[in-house]
Amino acid sequence: MDMSYQEKSIVGSLLAMLLVYGYYFAAVLRNVGQPEFAASGLGRLILAVIAIIVIQVVYQIVLALESKPEPKDERDILIEAKAYRNGYFAFATGAFLVIGVVIAAGLARDATPTRIIVTPFLLVNLVLLFMVLAEVVKLVTQLLYYRRGF
Amino acid sequence: MTRIHNNIRRLRFDRSEMTQQELAEKVGVTRQTVIAIEGDKYSPSLEVAFRIARVFGVPLEAVFQYEGTDSSEQAAD
Repeated sequence: MDMSYQEKSIVGSLLAMLLVYGYYFAAVLRNVGQPEFAASGLGRLILAVIAIIVIQVVYQIVLALESKPEPKDERDILIEAKAYRNGYFAFATGAFLVIGVVIAAGLARDATPTRIIVTPFLLVNLVLLFMVLAEVVKLVTQLLYYRRGF
Repeated sequence: MTRIHNNIRRLRFDRSEMTQQELAEKVGVTRQTVIAIEGDKYSPSLEVAFRIARVFGVPLEAVFQYEGTDSSEQAAD
């Protein structure tokens, strides 16, 4: 498949995100009962961010050596703007869901004996999950627009 | 597909088979953008459209044609 420099760069970002945050959220699922977002959780998060940066830097260097870097033109910028819009909608939807979870947990706690526990650990990771999903939506949108047109 | 069509392929052919890469470099866009414009998948900005016409040394309408209805026809619909 004939891919532009920008597309290759986006594919690299997408794979790095999926790999690192896939690993991160798998670890989160194993510790979902944990009440606080303690030092271990913060350590994992910092490690994930560092891993993303390292993978991205290495990938971008290899990409720049293999194919001639091209500055973004007006179509690249337009596609990116449209992709950011979709990413924003994804993140806004996630934010409303998190608000809904917090409200539902409060109502359930007061009204019924059912215990829905919304811990700081869960909330931090839910917000993070929607940030990652928003970025994935943005990157996938870019790839779709490059391939399909708009 | 956009409603703006173009003759870029023919104009390149007439200019001793100018490549998409050559056109892209002269216009200041990427080759993928030239491919998208040529395939009617992307309508360029006015500035890029004028630059393409200038590369071929022809008026804008010799490169691009708009095939939509005019605003009065749309209002009547």
